[in-house]
Amino acid sequence: MADFDFMDALYRAYVATIFGGAALWWLALRVGGSAVASTTAHRVAVDGPQVVGLVIAMALAVGLRSGGRGGPLVLEAADVRHLLLAPLDRGLALRGPALRLLRFGATWGVGVGAVFGVLASRRLGGQWPAWAASGALVGASAVDGALGAAMAVSGARLGRRMAGWLALAALAWSAADVVLARATSPMSLVGQVALWPLRWRAGGLAGVAFALLAVVSGVGLAGRTSVEASERRSSLAGQLRFAVTVRDLRSVILIRRQLAQDGVRQRPWARLPGAPLLPRAASKKPWHDPQRPRHRAGHGSALWRRGCHGLLRFRATRVARLALLGALAGAAAVGAWRGTTPLVLAAGLALYIAGLDALEPVAQSVDHPTLLDAYPLERGLALVGLLAAPTAVMLVVGVVGAATAVAVTGGSTTALTVAPVLLIPASLAGLAGAAVSTVQGSPPLFSASDLLLPPEAVGAKVFFRTLWPPLVSTAGMLPVLAARRASGSVVQSAVSAGVPVLVLVAGVLVWVRYRDRIHDAFQDAMGGTRPRA
Amino acid sequence: MTTPPAKPALRAASLTKSYGELVALEPLDLSVPAGQRLALVGHNGSGKTTFIKMAAGLLEPTSGTVTVQGEQAGSLAARALLSYVPDEPVLYDDLSVLEHIEFTCRLHGCQDWEDRAARLLDELGLATWAENLPSRFSRGMRQKTSIVLGLVRPFSVLIVDEPFVGLDPPGQEAFVKLLEEAADGGASILVATHQLDYAATADRCVALRDGAVVFDGPPGEIELASLFG
Repeated sequence: MADFDFMDALYRAYVATIFGGAALWWLALRVGGSAVASTTAHRVAVDGPQVVGLVIAMALAVGLRSGGRGGPLVLEAADVRHLLLAPLDRGLALRGPALRLLRFGATWGVGVGAVFGVLASRRLGGQWPAWAASGALVGASAVDGALGAAMAVSGARLGRRMAGWLALAALAWSAADVVLARATSPMSLVGQVALWPLRWRAGGLAGVAFALLAVVSGVGLAGRTSVEASERRSSLAGQLRFAVTVRDLRSVILIRRQLAQDGVRQRPWARLPGAPLLPRAASKKPWHDPQRPRHRAGHGSALWRRGCHGLLRFRATRVARLALLGALAGAAAVGAWRGTTPLVLAAGLALYIAGLDALEPVAQSVDHPTLLDAYPLERGLALVGLLAAPTAVMLVVGVVGAATAVAVTGGSTTALTVAPVLLIPASLAGLAGAAVSTVQGSPPLFSASDLLLPPEAVGAKVFFRTLWPPLVSTAGMLPVLAARRASGSVVQSAVSAGVPVLVLVAGVLVWVRYRDRIHDAFQDAMGGTRPRA
Repeated sequence: MTTPPAKPALRAASLTKSYGELVALEPLDLSVPAGQRLALVGHNGSGKTTFIKMAAGLLEPTSGTVTVQGEQAGSLAARALLSYVPDEPVLYDDLSVLEHIEFTCRLHGCQDWEDRAARLLDELGLATWAENLPSRFSRGMRQKTSIVLGLVRPFSVLIVDEPFVGLDPPGQEAFVKLLEEAADGGASILVATHQLDYAATADRCVALRDGAVVFDGPPGEIELASLFG
C-alpha cells in the first residue's frame, strides 16, 4: 500500500470517467435495439442469472488455470531477483502488486459491466443508472473474484492439474444451474446481481460475499507464489509492457499466451500423408552435389504442408478455444439477428481472435523474418501460400458457428438456410482482419512518413492501425444485419451483402502479396534505404 | 574460342556499411572464387557479421555491391545459390527437426533429400531427435539443427557465422568434416570464426579490424593470433 499514489489513481479515475462516460452515453443512445416484450423480460429475469453465472464461471476457469501456472501476478525480473530473494516477508512484498492487479481488474470490470448494464437497460427497460450500477458490481465481482481465486490457487501451490479440475468443476456446477434453472453456485448468485433492476434477490449479496472471500484469500496467499514461476513470467513482463505501450494488439495476445504456457504439442495429432521417414541406416554417399537434380520448385505444396504441420501441433486447449470462439460468434450472430445489434461487434471480435490463433504458421514466418528472407521465393508469395491452411481452419470455425446458430434457434428454417451462406464471408473476413494484424507486425517506433504528418494525424494513424484489423473482421458480420432487414429473400440478401465482404477479403490478400513492393516503392520515393533486418 | 572466365562465387566491390556516423565496414573489395575455403577472422565488432549479412542479403549496403555468382545478394537467384547459417540459430517454434528439413528441401525443389538428411543428422548426433521440436533444445543442439538446415539444401556458396559456438567437440569435428566434403564437391565456403585451429586449415584467410581488411592471404603467411590484436 505504501506506493499507492492516491492522487494518481484519482486522476486516472477522473479521466476514465469522463471519456468512458461519454462513450457509454453515446453508445447507449445509438445502439441497443428496441425493448423486448414483457414475457421475454420475465424469462430473462428467471434464467438470466444462471447464464450470466456461466460467463462468470468461464472467467473464473481462466483465472484458476492461470493460478495453476503461477499466475496471475507478473513481476519485473528485478523484483524477482532482489525482492523475492531478500530476507523479508514475501506476503508483504507482494501485497502491493496484488492490490494493483485487483485495482486494475476492478476498473475494467466496472467499466465493461456498466456498458453491458446500460445496453441491457435499452432492451429490458428500467432506469439505466440502476442497470449500470448492477452491471458494474457484477463486473468488478467477477473479475476480482477470478483474480483472487487465481492468486489463492497459485499461493496454495495446487498445480496445473488440480487447478484444471477446479476450473472444470466450476464450469460444470454453473452449467448444471443453467440446465436445472436454479441458482446454487456462487457464480449464479453473482449473476443475480446483474438482474437486480428486474428482480431483487438477496442471494446476490451472498455471491458478492463469495467474490470478496476469494479476493481476501488471494491477497493473503499471494506471498506463497512460486519464485520459479515468477521468474519465468517476469521475462515476458517487459515485452508485454512494451507491446501495450505501442498498442501492438497481436503481440499482447501472443505474450499473454506465452504467460499461459500455451505452447505447441510435442507430437502432432496426426502425420501428413507423404510425411518423410528417414532411412534407418544413414547413407555414406557424398551428400553434397550442387548439380543434383531438383523437382520443379513445389512452393505451393511446401507452404501448404508447412501450414498443416503447424496446425497439427495445436494443443487441445487451443482447438477448444477455436471451437468456443466459433460458437460465441454463432450465438452472437443470432443475438444480433434478433435485435441486439452491438453483438455483431462481439461476433467479429471472436472471429478476429480465432483468426489470430489459426494464423500461427504465418505468424511464425513473420516473427522469424531471416528464415523467410532466405527462401527462394518472394516474401509476399510465401505469406499468401501460408494462408491456405489457416483458411481451411477458419472455415471449420465458421461451420461451428453456423451449427451453434442453428442449435440456439432450435433448428429454425431461417437459420438452416441462412447460416451456411453467412459463414463464408464471416470466416474469411475474420481471417483477413487477423492477417492484417499479423503481417503488419509490431508498429515501428519511428516511421519516416511520420515526419510529414502533424502530431494529431500521427495519433490518428496509430489509432487506425490498431483498430483497422478488428474492423475488417467485424465487416464479415454485416451480411447478418443486411439479411435481417431483407424484405424479400433472406438468402438472396445475404449473398448480395456477402459480395462486398469477399471483395474486401480479396483486397487484403492482394495487400499481403504486394505489401513489400508497395513499401519498397514508397521508401524509394522517400529517398530512404530499405531496412532488411 | 576462349571460354569466358567463371564468375566468382562471391564478389564484393567497394562495399561499405554505415549506421549514421558509425562506419561498420570500410570500402571492401573481395572476390571468392568457386571452391575456395575462406576463413574470416577479426575481433568482436570488426565487421565480420556485417559483411556476412550483406552477402546473405539481410542488410542493405550503404554503398557498393555484393554479388553471388553474378546475382545481386538477396535476389531470388542469389538465395537459391547461397546458404547462410547464422550465429544465432533461428528456428520455428512449431516444427520438428524433420519438418524443418522437409519444408526447406521442398522450397528448394530438392529430390531424394531423405538420404542426405539422415546422413547429416547422423553425423551431427541428431538422428534420435529428428521428431522433436528444436525450440526446446539446448543452444548447442539448436546450432546443430541450424547447420543441418544450411547443409541439406543445394548451394554453391555456404556462409557460416561463428559455427563453433556452443558445439561440443564431436559436433565441431563432424562439422569440419562436412565442410570439407562440401568444398570437395565444388562449393565455396566462407566461415567467420574465432577458432584459430580451423582458420589455419582454410585456403585463404581474410582478417578485419575496425571494419577494414588488414590481411588477405594464405593463413600460413602470418601469425593468426596477431590478427586479433
